Amino acid sequence: MTMNSLNIEGSRSTPQILCNADTGVISMRGDAYPENSFEFFHGLIDWVAQYLVETTHPLVLELYLIYMNTSSVKAMMDIFDMLEDAHRQGREVAVHWYYDPENERVVELAEEFREDLTFPFTISSVDE
Amino acid sequence: MHHIDLLSLREQFNQNQILLCFNGAISRSLIEEIGNALKNYLHEDQAKPSAAMDVFGVYIELTQNIRHYAQSRGYSEIESAATVVVAKDQDNRYQVLAGNLVERADGQALCDRVTTMATMDKAELKAAYKAQLRRPRDADQHSGAGLGLLDVARKTSQPLVSKLIETGDDKAFFSLLAVI
Repeated sequence: MTMNSLNIEGSRSTPQILCNADTGVISMRGDAYPENSFEFFHGLIDWVAQYLVETTHPLVLELYLIYMNTSSVKAMMDIFDMLEDAHRQGREVAVHWYYDPENERVVELAEEFREDLTFPFTISSVDE
Repeated sequence: MHHIDLLSLREQFNQNQILLCFNGAISRSLIEEIGNALKNYLHEDQAKPSAAMDVFGVYIELTQNIRHYAQSRGYSEIESAATVVVAKDQDNRYQVLAGNLVERADGQALCDRVTTMATMDKAELKAAYKAQLRRPRDADQHSGAGLGLLDVARKTSQPLVSKLIETGDDKAFFSLLAVI
């Protein structure tokens, strides 16, 4: 079975999500504060789970996320936990989070996720 | 004929430096629309991006909490009404006030939680937030407000203040003040 790519269009309260099955790169851009985050992130969570099971390729997340409500943070943590499990089993995974240097809150948000994880996780300014 | 005293309303808005206020049934799209207006106000007010994001975040968590609560209780549109105010205090700090109708017992439990949180420092709030984040979704379903309230408390410069006013029929008006 081959993996399909997944593209979710962004809106004011939800990020644009592009999952490329060929390159193993997921990019997410924008704010995330849907009322029902579990529902919104469901497709992405399924895609990541399937990708990790059905391929052996590396998986990289390129994040340009800005504001996240708490239920989106919870959903994102579920995804990072899946990456952490895969990493512990020897899979190559990484997260690169890019932020606007004007807004240090994004750095704090990313750092709080990173504290609990051991796979490569970079946080860098979009200016760099 | 009864006239609403618009001038006195306006004076009250001005006196209290109210940037934005809403009263009524709140929908998902309305939360977004008002949130967007709030972002614009904060930008025009030259709030620092980090402060603007804190105010916006507090507004989102509190209004979404109200929506989730009203839905979980199966409230009618009138019962689901939210009263939200964003203002500036004398020290030019942003204030977010949000209030809604709750079951009296739920309101009391919320007030107790706010009182407990008021005794916690930022490190303790962070630890509680992370513990709550790890709790299974179902366990959080009933009270709902757990994670959101901790997140709000972490963004404020002074402890949250809650108020509960009984309105009869075992219901009460619960309100929360967050100073960013």
